Amino acid sequence: MRKLLIMLTPAAIILLAAPFATAQESQQPAPAAVDTAKGLPEWDKVYAVFSHPRCADCHVADDRPRWSGAHYGGTRVHGFNVQRGADGSGFGNPGLRCTTCHFSSNSKALHGPPGAENWHLAPAEMVWFGKSSAEICAQIKDPARNGGRSLQDVALHVRDDKLVAWGWAPGADREPAPGSAEETYTAIENWMAAGAPCPAAQ
Amino acid sequence: MASIGKIARRTFLIGAAAVAGGVAVGYYYYRKPFANPLEADLGKGEATFNPYVKIGADNTITIVAPRAEMGQGVSTTLAAMVAEELDVGLDQVKVEHGAASYAYYNAAILQEGGPFAFFDESMTAEAVRSGLGVVGKLLALQGTGGSSSMRDGFDKMRQAGAAARQMLIAAAAQKLGVSAGELETASGTVLHKASGKSVTYGEVAASANTMPPPAEVRLKDKADWKLLGKPQKRVDMLAKVTGAPIFGIDVRLPEMLYGTVKMSPRFWSKPVSADLSKAEKMPGVVKIVPIETSYGHGFGVIAENTWAAFRAAEAIEAKWADPEYPLDSAAIDAALKQALTTKGSALRNDGDVDTAFADAPREKIVEADYAVPYLAHATMEPMNATARLKDGALDIWCGNQAPTLVRQLCANAVGIEQDKVTVHTTFLGGGFGRRVEMDYALCAALMAKEAGGRPVKVTWTREEDMRHDAYRPAAIGRFQARLGDDGLPVAVDMKVSSPSMIASTLRRLFPSLSAMGPDKTIVDGAYDQPYTIPNYRVSGIAAPVSIPVGSWRSVGSSINGFFHEGFMDEIAAAGKTDPVELRKKLMAAYPSALKVVEAVAGMAKWGEALPAGKAKGMAFTLSFGSWVGEIVQVADTPAGIRIEKVWIAADVGTALDPDIIKAQLISGAIYGLSAAMGQEITFADGMVEQSNFHDFDAMRIFQTPVFEVAVLENFHKMGGVGEVGTPPAAPALANAIFALTGKRIRRLPLSKEVTFA
Amino acid sequence: MRLTVDGQSFDIDADPEMPLLWALRDLVGKTGPKFGCGIAACGACTVHVDGQPVRSCSLPVGEVSGPITTIEGISAGGKLHPVQQAWLEEQVAQCGYCQAGQIMSAVALLEEVADPSDDDIDNAMGGNLCRCGTYPKIRAAIKKAAALKTAGL
Repeated sequence: MRKLLIMLTPAAIILLAAPFATAQESQQPAPAAVDTAKGLPEWDKVYAVFSHPRCADCHVADDRPRWSGAHYGGTRVHGFNVQRGADGSGFGNPGLRCTTCHFSSNSKALHGPPGAENWHLAPAEMVWFGKSSAEICAQIKDPARNGGRSLQDVALHVRDDKLVAWGWAPGADREPAPGSAEETYTAIENWMAAGAPCPAAQ
Repeated sequence: MASIGKIARRTFLIGAAAVAGGVAVGYYYYRKPFANPLEADLGKGEATFNPYVKIGADNTITIVAPRAEMGQGVSTTLAAMVAEELDVGLDQVKVEHGAASYAYYNAAILQEGGPFAFFDESMTAEAVRSGLGVVGKLLALQGTGGSSSMRDGFDKMRQAGAAARQMLIAAAAQKLGVSAGELETASGTVLHKASGKSVTYGEVAASANTMPPPAEVRLKDKADWKLLGKPQKRVDMLAKVTGAPIFGIDVRLPEMLYGTVKMSPRFWSKPVSADLSKAEKMPGVVKIVPIETSYGHGFGVIAENTWAAFRAAEAIEAKWADPEYPLDSAAIDAALKQALTTKGSALRNDGDVDTAFADAPREKIVEADYAVPYLAHATMEPMNATARLKDGALDIWCGNQAPTLVRQLCANAVGIEQDKVTVHTTFLGGGFGRRVEMDYALCAALMAKEAGGRPVKVTWTREEDMRHDAYRPAAIGRFQARLGDDGLPVAVDMKVSSPSMIASTLRRLFPSLSAMGPDKTIVDGAYDQPYTIPNYRVSGIAAPVSIPVGSWRSVGSSINGFFHEGFMDEIAAAGKTDPVELRKKLMAAYPSALKVVEAVAGMAKWGEALPAGKAKGMAFTLSFGSWVGEIVQVADTPAGIRIEKVWIAADVGTALDPDIIKAQLISGAIYGLSAAMGQEITFADGMVEQSNFHDFDAMRIFQTPVFEVAVLENFHKMGGVGEVGTPPAAPALANAIFALTGKRIRRLPLSKEVTFA
Repeated sequence: MRLTVDGQSFDIDADPEMPLLWALRDLVGKTGPKFGCGIAACGACTVHVDGQPVRSCSLPVGEVSGPITTIEGISAGGKLHPVQQAWLEEQVAQCGYCQAGQIMSAVALLEEVADPSDDDIDNAMGGNLCRCGTYPKIRAAIKKAAALKTAGL
């Protein structure tokens, strides 16, 4: 197990530290004037992805990932008492890591475990599950709640991260997130260009 | 209760099944002893005394425990019975399951098959019991089930040990030139104290074997037991913690092929069309063969490894005929409701129920409708068997609960005589009644026929296992009570409708026979409970739904425990009587029941105030001869209802191994709680909807409550233990949830109404 | 393809997509890990790869890069692993089918947490199903194993 910790910790540092570094280097110029009419439809595309079970089920507030799908009877707490992990890492608990069942590719068995490199929960502050469009929008713009990222970094993360990419290729029996990584990246860029407007809170 | 006249007129179903079954397997004269199957297969220097004991010249002592070891500890306690009387330690003996043989018939499995409550010791009941014991022998059914192994083995196994010991003493007396009366035995040795001379059992086994069996077998007094009544180390434990290849699925043979099955997802339906071409071309596939058995139709895939077989089975494209039963769960429910409108057979009919209700004022009536779903057994080890048909002889390896049936049905299936079939019974990775069925063995036998003499290990996928079970039947009940002024029931009328488990079992095991008479399993656990109510009627109706149903741990009592005890809790609430007090009053005529209720209430400190957000519920069921009370404590937590603690008191009459009994009671309760919390098998388009543990799960360690168990020995007859923990678990939980939330849940699983943490 | 299983090397000819479980059971001949569900939902197939617990029924053999340890490889020199010893002393098993997986999960837990609490146990063992309901004894045995291990037994 020591090996995993050593392996994971640098990984975690890279994941967390890199965006901070980029955020500092790539201070955006002052955003364009806010164009709600143009920006909100783009945000809606982004929200459709972020709130989709393939993404939201692992961006949870209560440290428990979710299962979604007809054969689960809708959406419910992931079985087996799977949790973020006592160390807060998002990689599960000793004896029952995410990677005990989730490997680097999707299981081909009916209802088998999906897989991608580094399967783990999103950090605790990046909660999307059960949040409204306005809430997620506000959150995604707040570096304290988006992994310390600029919006540009968020867009790149969505485009390039392998675990995020899984959301569009979740295996035969799961509904993929809408669109594609590239389309979502473009939507974020367009939304940013329109001043990154957020919908009014309900 | 039924009189002998009524019984003769109606021929109750279990008896009919038994007698009819006798025709199928061939009659054996009751008095005629069966041949000792150990004689055929003795090693060099080995001597056998009876079907249960074998001793080698090197003093290796082998005890045959001819019942399926599926976790219930039967191999340990049956061996302990022999070892006790043989005067050897359990660590000195080798325990084997032995061959399939009529010599190992189970007489007790049918003994309680008559329409009598366990406490009914009238002449009629006793006559039927001994009659059914004889039927057990006529049938010569070597079966494990009905929580009967200890009751069946208690005399037989001890006598086997004692008889062998007496013969060994006689032989030792001859050898040492002393009188038998001067000899003692201990740890596999015969000792002449006066001279200090001794011989091991092994040294005199061969000559002892030629001694005439003792005319009279003396058994030890209970007070002198060294092993029985005390916790023993299980004989199977080391193998089970080291991953030893002890299960059917672990069988490995030279030249072995692997396989799986894809049976019709609609029971009994034949393929309308099938395209095997894609599957046949898959890598590793050897052959795909059609399968037809009394369990239905489908295909067997023979391949070079199990995974190749699984993949090819998935690639089989077939269309299946429409089912002969209602298409979906709603239609099945409607069929059960329709059946409930008919009169049914009253297995209990005390007083005059109709008159008692005729003038009942509305406010004194309690009414409720209950329902439980179909359930799968979901043993941890999926169904499997390995078979080899070579030179006209069939060998079959599998965990099973009825080796003589495996032999008989597989012989028929491949068209050879029974004496050409050898059944190798392995340990079972769970049974719970599932491995009474024969489908896994039949499939393997038929596939072996197509394998050119090579053995084939046929392993089912979990999905195939989940979707081709002989399910615990769904059932519905309509109950009515009239309360007296003291809040106690003056009249109770219970009607239960459910597909007949016996009729369904007959169709699969003895398809040429048709079922007749009422099926008492429909009302087991409701009609035979130790309550005194002046007007008390319990009727069962067999609903015509032909989805295969069978024995599921505690059988009818798994259904009626919930129905009866849920309704009793409602009677208590309506009559403003404490649920424990209600039982104590209504069970006053049955001291064993009373003591169980008092014991469990005392352990749980029933009646003491609990902190807010916690509550308790209780239930009691007499099943398989044991009197069991359970109390469940639940707590309201942010994540849902948590089962915190469970207290169990059980009167088993005689406790042969208290630790194994406690483990079984907890096991039975967890099995029942698992089902009550979240399990159901539902149907759509004639097919089972659930497929694996993600949608048919069971209790996990993080949901497991703390258990406290008391084993009592008050009743004068021995009861079973393997199943008896299950029936009271569901109602105790539902009653606790009522106490916690005020919500009365009458339909299982409870997860439809509440969330569990 | 070469696999190292319980310290021994095996050359097998397998489709890389074949789950490790079937490679172990049918090709290598290690039947200790059990088939229960095929979808990583019951834990009966648990083995260690590189010391990490994995559900071998769902791990393609082609993805395996490290040495594999099964239930058959955890006792050294004829001496039971402390977890096995504790299982024996607490008389945990009933049917026994799930226990190889339970033991492998418990071994992994104790590698990281020397003295696990009830919560640690519940968090580590939730993926291992037991239909016989041996959970109370599993809890007791894990605690006993922790004590045996600490005492160097």
